[in-house]
Amino acid sequence: MSCNCNTREVASPLLPYIATVNKIIEETPTIKTFQVTFDEPGILENFGNKPGQCAMLSILGVGEGMISITSSPTRKGMLEFTIAKVGRLTSVIHELEVGDKMAIRGPYGNHFPFEEMKGKNCLFVAGGVGLAPLRSLIDYVLDNRDDYGRVDIVYGARCYDMLCFKYDLFDRWPKIKDTHVHVTLDREDPKWDGRVGFITLDWLQEICPSVENTVPVTCGPPIMIKLQLENFKKMGFKPEEIITTLEMNMRCGVGKCGRCNIGEKYICVDGPVFNAAQIQKLPPEY
Amino acid sequence: MANKIVQKDQIKNLLNKVAQSSQLIAPIKSDSITTFRPVSSAEAVVLDYQNGVIPPKDFFFPQSEKMFTYNINDPTWDIREVEGVPERVLFGARPCDVKSILLLDKVFDAEFRDNYYLDKRNKTTIVALSCNDCRHTCFCGAFGISPDTAEGADLLFTDLGDKYLVEVLTEKGEKLVNSAKEFFADDDGSGAGAKAKATEMAKAKQMQISLEGVKEKLDNMWEHPIWDNESLRCIGCGTCTYVCPTCHCFDIVDYNDQSAEGYRYRCWDSCQFSNFTRAAGGHQPRPSKKERIRQRFLHKLRYFVDRYGDFGCVGCGRCLEKCPVNLDIAQIITKVKEVG
Repeated sequence: MSCNCNTREVASPLLPYIATVNKIIEETPTIKTFQVTFDEPGILENFGNKPGQCAMLSILGVGEGMISITSSPTRKGMLEFTIAKVGRLTSVIHELEVGDKMAIRGPYGNHFPFEEMKGKNCLFVAGGVGLAPLRSLIDYVLDNRDDYGRVDIVYGARCYDMLCFKYDLFDRWPKIKDTHVHVTLDREDPKWDGRVGFITLDWLQEICPSVENTVPVTCGPPIMIKLQLENFKKMGFKPEEIITTLEMNMRCGVGKCGRCNIGEKYICVDGPVFNAAQIQKLPPEY
Repeated sequence: MANKIVQKDQIKNLLNKVAQSSQLIAPIKSDSITTFRPVSSAEAVVLDYQNGVIPPKDFFFPQSEKMFTYNINDPTWDIREVEGVPERVLFGARPCDVKSILLLDKVFDAEFRDNYYLDKRNKTTIVALSCNDCRHTCFCGAFGISPDTAEGADLLFTDLGDKYLVEVLTEKGEKLVNSAKEFFADDDGSGAGAKAKATEMAKAKQMQISLEGVKEKLDNMWEHPIWDNESLRCIGCGTCTYVCPTCHCFDIVDYNDQSAEGYRYRCWDSCQFSNFTRAAGGHQPRPSKKERIRQRFLHKLRYFVDRYGDFGCVGCGRCLEKCPVNLDIAQIITKVKEVG
């Protein structure tokens, strides 16, 4: 994995930098995207995040939480975090307004194999807020469009209002050459005349008839990840080719506090990105 | 540096001299419990103890540790790191506990070096004390630790009756000897023989447990009824993890007492608590005691080996002595060999 700790002058990897919220996008009633910049000059330029990495976000006086960075490093001058309101910290973050502060440390973890994926077709499969970590890779690929082959983005959400990044899905991404967005909702919705149903093996095979020279990447709720890993294998992908991200409760982000330990791995430093062959070797605790 | 001798009637004078130039951390007895404490004078130090109830881990990785302070009314939040510790001498650490510090080094002195830990580690001279006797729960030998050697210590003292044999193991140890030269005489060569005799009983009395094949068996015991069976009587109190010299899990918490100023601290946490892995939103990878005790034993005896090349246990015996329902890692090791 890549280590950016040397770019920091401060003594402690647990000490955060202060950042200011510049823009807030309401994705769904319970999910918001926060665009932030660091207050101290030079920090953002040296942050060095790669697609798939995470950062520890905190509100002082409330607590910290590990959040995936949803913006691609190709998008300069800011970081984006897409956050579902699920607990105490994220409820406070959802109250933030433009100009408010948050504290950030990182980036943490490994990253998607964006170098190894060059020259290949990309099959991105996401569910719910699971599109957030994938978006950093999708935008990286699309901002380096000529380095990659055909791109398919398959995305499912519970209902229309639960779709994240509608502006990307329906406006931005489909306009990019050889980029195909496939959206499905779990159930009928008055606002929706597109596909209804889960992301099934049949549908995936229809979208991606040949596994030749293609890298499948999936992220979503744990149950969905397990299903898609099986689907990819049935499609003919080798376990080493199938990429996903795992998530566990985390506190330190630097492989010491023990919370995200699965087998010999710490998700915060050895993950969050794993291939299916690595996951097969892990105790099934994710 | 050659071995030295300190006369027993001089040991407290030596410790008092040490306490003048460094913080002295040593075992004291309070309410019949022996624990390591910073002491200003050697008077209260006990020398004939078997081992402290809590390991000296606390002085490197405190049970609760302030990391930085902040002021939420300040536009920059005014984050300030807390000051480090003074130079210190930890006196009387037993060989198992010294080894546990080497295991903690593997965690905290790895990628993303933990400066809170390393500051304390670098500023501490470790004086180990060989075990002449041991508790009925001791089994350090299983992990290749011996009552009379202390890899990781700077000095090793061994009680020879009326005097201590002092082995100087590092430069840090040599520096300590040189700073209090008047207390250290040269060993006439009889020290080593006397030491072997003095520590004979501890070696013979401890539980003789072999770990041969245990890790390999555990590699294939994920779904074994042993975890169900053993978890039945666990009450999830977490005592085993709080008295453990190698457990290193922690939580990070903000405290600000309804005022603008506050601090962020970390404190020991335990894989035996249900909140440990429960994520916001409710995802819970270890929902019952079965998964949680399996995590504890597999972490010590399998995962730590895979990640760091050593067992995450030193056989100090504290967890099995203090467990209210007699869950016993030594018994688990034995059972794994029988059933796995």
